[in-house]
Amino acid sequence: MTTFGAFRALALNRVRASVRDRTSLIFTLGLAVLFMVIFGLLFGGNGVSLTLDAVNNDNTAPSAGYVTALRNVPGVTVDVKTHATAFADLKDDSVVAVLVIPSGFGAAYDGRGPSQTVGIYQAGGSSSSTAIADDVVANVTARFASGLGHSTITLDSPKAAAVNQVTEMDYMLPSMIAYILLFSGVNYVAIGLVEMRVKQVLRRFRATPVRSGTILAAQVVGGALIVLLQILVLVLIGIWAFGARNYGSWLLLIPPIVLGTAAFVGIGFLITSIAKTSEAARALAAMVTFPLMFLSGIFFPMTGLPEVVQVISRILPLAWASDALHQVMNNGAGFSAISTDCLVMAAWAVGAITLATWRFRWD
Amino acid sequence: MICAEPMPAVVRLGGEMADIDVKDLVKRYGDVVAVDGLSFSVQKGEVFGMLGPNGAGKTTTLEIIEGLRVPDAGTVQVLGTDVLAHPGTVKERIGVQLQATALPDFTKVREAIELFAALYRHARPTAELLAEFNLEEKADAYTDKLSGGQMQRLSIALALINDPDLVFLDEPTTGLDPQARLNIWTVIEGIRKRGKTVVLTTHYMEEAERLCDRVAVIDRGRIVALDSPRNLIAANAAGTTLEFARVPGLDVEALRKLPGVDRVVADGQVSLTTRTPEVVLHALLDPQAPWAGREGTGGDGEEEGMIRDLVVRHGTLEDVFLSLTGRSLRE
Repeated sequence: MTTFGAFRALALNRVRASVRDRTSLIFTLGLAVLFMVIFGLLFGGNGVSLTLDAVNNDNTAPSAGYVTALRNVPGVTVDVKTHATAFADLKDDSVVAVLVIPSGFGAAYDGRGPSQTVGIYQAGGSSSSTAIADDVVANVTARFASGLGHSTITLDSPKAAAVNQVTEMDYMLPSMIAYILLFSGVNYVAIGLVEMRVKQVLRRFRATPVRSGTILAAQVVGGALIVLLQILVLVLIGIWAFGARNYGSWLLLIPPIVLGTAAFVGIGFLITSIAKTSEAARALAAMVTFPLMFLSGIFFPMTGLPEVVQVISRILPLAWASDALHQVMNNGAGFSAISTDCLVMAAWAVGAITLATWRFRWD
Repeated sequence: MICAEPMPAVVRLGGEMADIDVKDLVKRYGDVVAVDGLSFSVQKGEVFGMLGPNGAGKTTTLEIIEGLRVPDAGTVQVLGTDVLAHPGTVKERIGVQLQATALPDFTKVREAIELFAALYRHARPTAELLAEFNLEEKADAYTDKLSGGQMQRLSIALALINDPDLVFLDEPTTGLDPQARLNIWTVIEGIRKRGKTVVLTTHYMEEAERLCDRVAVIDRGRIVALDSPRNLIAANAAGTTLEFARVPGLDVEALRKLPGVDRVVADGQVSLTTRTPEVVLHALLDPQAPWAGREGTGGDGEEEGMIRDLVVRHGTLEDVFLSLTGRSLRE
C-alpha cells in the first residue's frame, strides 16, 4: 500500500458507486438533460430574434450610435419609442426589454459629464430569451463603453459589436453546467459522506492503516470527479444531441468548471460537518441548492429579482459560476472577463473546504 | 464443550508478552462513563470473549484497543506497541470487524475485497479469500444483496485481508439465524486453529461458552469476572440440573443423600441440582442402585429402570451474569 494507492482505490470506488447509483444520476445529469429537452421543444433551438424598445432621453450622436450598435447585432431589433409606449409594449409582451438611455449619455461619452447608467427593464415571468437580451445588451454596452456604473467612465468610439447569435440551446448548455456544479457538487459529497459516517463505512476505513486525511480527501475528490464526469457527458450530449455551440475557448472553461466544482463540493463538505443524519444532510442540501438554482440566473436573469435577493445572489458562488460559463461559451470572453468570477469561486472553495475540514466529525 | 482448557496461570504471568495489555482504561461521553477503569490482558493464540448486555462498554473498549477512539485515561499496548502513540503501526497488524455492516454502497463482493486490499501494505490474494470464505459464487454480487451470514463472512474475510496476528470481532453473529451462526462459529474456530489471537464481543452465552478460552464479564464499564467459561459457571452458577420423571416406587430420600447433590425438588418430576454432575450421573446410572433396571431372565429381555426421560441442563453464562450483576444479559 502507498498513500496514493489507497487514495486512488477509495476515490475510484466512490466514483464507480456513484455511476451505478441511477437514482442520484436522474436528479443531476438526468434533470439537466431534461431541462434542455424542454427548452429545446419550447423554443425550437433556432436563432433568437430579440425585439427591444429604447427610450432615448439623450438624443445626441453617441446615444444614436449606441442604438445602432445594438441594431447591428444579428437577430436584434431595436425600436426607439417614448417612455409610455415602450413600457406599454413591455406590459403586453411585445418586447423582451426596454432600454432607457439617460440624458447626459452623450456628455459622459464625450467626457464632459458624470458617469451614466443605461436602464434595462424586463417584464416579470420572463424566459431565458430575456437573459439572452441581457447578455446581448451588456455585451454591446461593454464594447461601446468600457464599464457602466457610478465610477468615472471612458467611452470607446461607437462601433458595431460582433455579437454571437446565441440560441436557446447555446444559452442552456452553460446554465445546465452550472446546474450540475450546484446539484452534484453539493449533493454527492453532503449526502454521500454523511451516509458513510452513519453506516460506519468511514469508521471501517479508519480501522485500516490509511490516514484519516487520506480517507476524507478521497471521498471529497471522488465527489468532485463525479461532477466533472457529469459535466463532460452533459457537454457531449448538448453538442451532439442539441446542437449547442461554444463561442469561446474550451480551455478557458476549465478554470470556472474546476473552481466551481471545488466551491460546491466544499459547500457539500461543509454540510457534513453540520448534519448528523442523512435526512438532515438531504434537507440542508435542498435548502442550499433549490434557492440558489432560482436566484442565480441559471433559468432567468437576476435583473428581475428584488435588490436584496440580488445582493445575496452575488455573495453566493452560483451566480459567478453561471456568469463565467456564459461569458466564455456565449460571448467568447477572454480570461479577464471571468477573472473576478474565478476569484470568488476560488475564495468559496478555499473557505468552505478549510472550514469543513476543521469542523468535520468522524462520529 | 469444544472450548479448550483455561489458559494456565503460568502463561498469564510469565515472560511472553501479551498480545493486548489494557490498564485502567476510562472513557466518558459527557456525564456517562462508558468504560470505568478496565484492566486486562489477552494472551497470544487465545480466544478472548467480552460478554455483557448492550451498553456495557464492550464496543467502546474494543474501539479504543483498535485505535478508533481515544480514551480519557489508561494505557493500551497491542502487539507490543502503544496504540495511542502509533495507531498506524497497530492497524497494519490487526484485523477488525465492526458491529455494523460498514461497507460502501454499490460495491460488489470482489471489489470490496480489492478495495480493502489496497489499504494495507500486505494483502492476501482476493481469489484465496473468496475461496476460503465460500464467497466465490457471490463474487460479482452487490454486497447489499448478500444474506446476513454471507455478509458476515465477507466482513470477517475483510478483517483477515492483511493476514493479521490479532483479530477483533464485534458481535459476529448478532442477528443471524442458527444455521448461519453455526457457520460463523466454524469460521472463528478456523481462525483460532491458525494460531491467531481473537477478541470477540457477544451477548450470546452459548457463543462465549463454545468459542472462548476466557471470558470477561462486563457490566456498566467494569469487568465483574474474568475466567474460563467453565470456571465462571462453576464459581457463579447454581450448577447443573438433572431432571427425570417421578416413577412410582422411586426413593426420593435416597436420591437426596447421594454425594454431590445440593437440592432435590420432587413433584410431577424430580429436579436434582448439583455442582458435580459427573459424580451424580454416575450414581444415578449405577447398575447396582435400587432404581436401576435389572437384567431380565424371561423372554421380555430387560426390566426398565426407574430413571426415565432424563434431561441434563447445564448452568450457563446467563446464570453467571445474573448472579454477578443481579440483572439479565438481554434486558
